[in-house]
Amino acid sequence: MSLRARLAQWIGVPTLVPARKRTADRAIERLSPSAWVSVPLAGAAPTVQVGDVVAAGALIARSQAGARWQRRVHSPYQGAVVSVDERAIVVEGAPLPAAAGSAQHTGAAGLAPSDIIVTVREAGVTGLGGAMFPTYAKLGTSVDTVLVNGCESEPYFTCDHRVLAEHGDEVRCGLALAKRAVNADHGAIVDREAYYPAGYERFLIRDELDRVLAPHALPRDVGVLVMNVQSARALCVAVCGETPMIERVITVAGDAVGRPGNYVVAIGTPVAHLLRVCEIDQARAATIITGGPMMGRALEAGAVVTAGTGGLLALTADEVAAREEVPCIRCGRCLEACPVGLPVAKIVERPGPEVLRCMECGACQYVCPSAIPLVERLRLAKRREVEWD
Amino acid sequence: MRGPFLRSPQSTSHLMAQVVVALLPIATIAIWRHGAPAAVTLGGAVTAALAVEIAVRRAAPRDLSAVITGMLAALLLPADAPPWLGAAAGALAIGVGKHAFGGLGKNPFNPAALSRGLLMVLVPATLFAPAWAWDGVTMASPLARESGGTAPLLSAVWSGDVPGALGTSAPWAVLLGGLALVALRTIDGRVPLVYLATVTVGSIVLPGSDRIVAHAPWLVADPLLHLLAGGTLLTAFFLLTDPVTAPFAPLGRVAFAAIAGVVTIAARLYTPYPDAAALAVLVANAFTPAIDRWRST
Repeated sequence: MSLRARLAQWIGVPTLVPARKRTADRAIERLSPSAWVSVPLAGAAPTVQVGDVVAAGALIARSQAGARWQRRVHSPYQGAVVSVDERAIVVEGAPLPAAAGSAQHTGAAGLAPSDIIVTVREAGVTGLGGAMFPTYAKLGTSVDTVLVNGCESEPYFTCDHRVLAEHGDEVRCGLALAKRAVNADHGAIVDREAYYPAGYERFLIRDELDRVLAPHALPRDVGVLVMNVQSARALCVAVCGETPMIERVITVAGDAVGRPGNYVVAIGTPVAHLLRVCEIDQARAATIITGGPMMGRALEAGAVVTAGTGGLLALTADEVAAREEVPCIRCGRCLEACPVGLPVAKIVERPGPEVLRCMECGACQYVCPSAIPLVERLRLAKRREVEWD
Repeated sequence: MRGPFLRSPQSTSHLMAQVVVALLPIATIAIWRHGAPAAVTLGGAVTAALAVEIAVRRAAPRDLSAVITGMLAALLLPADAPPWLGAAAGALAIGVGKHAFGGLGKNPFNPAALSRGLLMVLVPATLFAPAWAWDGVTMASPLARESGGTAPLLSAVWSGDVPGALGTSAPWAVLLGGLALVALRTIDGRVPLVYLATVTVGSIVLPGSDRIVAHAPWLVADPLLHLLAGGTLLTAFFLLTDPVTAPFAPLGRVAFAAIAGVVTIAARLYTPYPDAAALAVLVANAFTPAIDRWRST
């Protein structure tokens, strides 16, 4: 750490978002399943019709042949298709009982890169960190280093940490497969999480490899592939376990949750079901959030768990600490908190093109003592900047 | 609705309350040491500051900023000030120093330092000027002993046994409050650190003017005296750390603190003004917009 950073840590103003990892010791559990799942299609075209009976893991939607990004969607449940539209397919039924330890972690031995990529594409593996980008497309690049991102993407989340602790062999196997697919010499699992948002890939690459990404560059431009822990595991499960991506681990946390913990959940599980089985006290909760507390969304009617849903939070008024907006006192906490170094308080008044570097991580708004809705204003400034261009 | 859904527990009103509590030790010691006149000055300043705040905003105060400003304005006044001076300082600080510029967050100068500067011009006789500069004016600071007088003893400065502003009644009480604010991360500790370091280095390397060497030789090459006497500590921890009038960026604040340090020590060693700490705050404040343009992050 530089002298300047150390000085800031010791006597500067507080700018770190606390991690709040009270579920870190909760082993991953399987929740009692919902009666149906509504699997989001993300642009893929249905291959089943209402009334069809599908097996767990069966293909139910795929992208058109010419589509730029090929997506495959599989049914997490065995049962009957009860509704199909362009956005989601609803399957009524039940999941298969978990087939524990069936996978042989042969790693990359004997597999050609193209075999791995095709298997991953057909298994519908996507990024599980939030962006839900198809993993096979990332594996088609040529890089020298693969990083598995074990830093949680948001405060409160502990699901990636638990997956690493309990299924580390599968994650390591996934890393080996990814390295082989992209022909990389180096690979590492990174789980040093010093601050929020350390888990953003550009910070991971900077902190771990000392390689700096230009504002609009992608990791592959500096020879790096970054995968989420659960994506790496899904890669292993797809190749070694021959199972498509149909479930993920999420963290359910917050003081209004009766049964906080880390749970395996089928993709497409209605959030309303989770509220019930996790005993979330909706009267005590000031906010219920799908995703994390910094970049998540307030719960909307009909919401389901997607590949990008890392958690479900029910926060009490004390945790949220909402308060009225008051005038800016120019304390400078926002710009010290900004991980990309934007002069936030100034930018929201006089936006310039640099606002496009904002990732909306929310760190500035968290530390603002005057409770100014900075992220909302930054989003507005970004939109204007794009329109004027 | 989209996130972030969390807020740091450090709110603006919370920060202000912490500053008020941190000022209580020095305010209490000042009253204990100087008695009723000090209580009148402090009470008058806070009351006047609150009254002007309420009159201008036509609403109850939203936070404790007027209380902080009133307390600081009073602590910059001499212990033997006439009874009305505190109220005048509090009213000037909030009326001219804060609301004339548009209220909280808009004022370019520290309101307390500005009120002290205005009073130096409006009623110079009641404020600070050393005897050897202007005849017949009482000496008002250990930094301004009479010609031929003895050097102020450090132990006397430390315990506040010297004439001076209310805020110099007990350097240790200022230090106590200030360090608590740094520990609580209420203020940016880099500002007092750089300011005090600049004053220290300046007091060691600057030879002082011929007049100072002739009339007040004890001011030369005594860093501890410059750190403890006068308003140095109050300036370091409570005036320069006012976020509204300091630059935004960390490096900008470091430059700002260094400017204030240079002005403080240069004024003491090269001008007849014995305690230019408040003046140094105003000069540094004037540089804030330029510093913000120089470094925005």
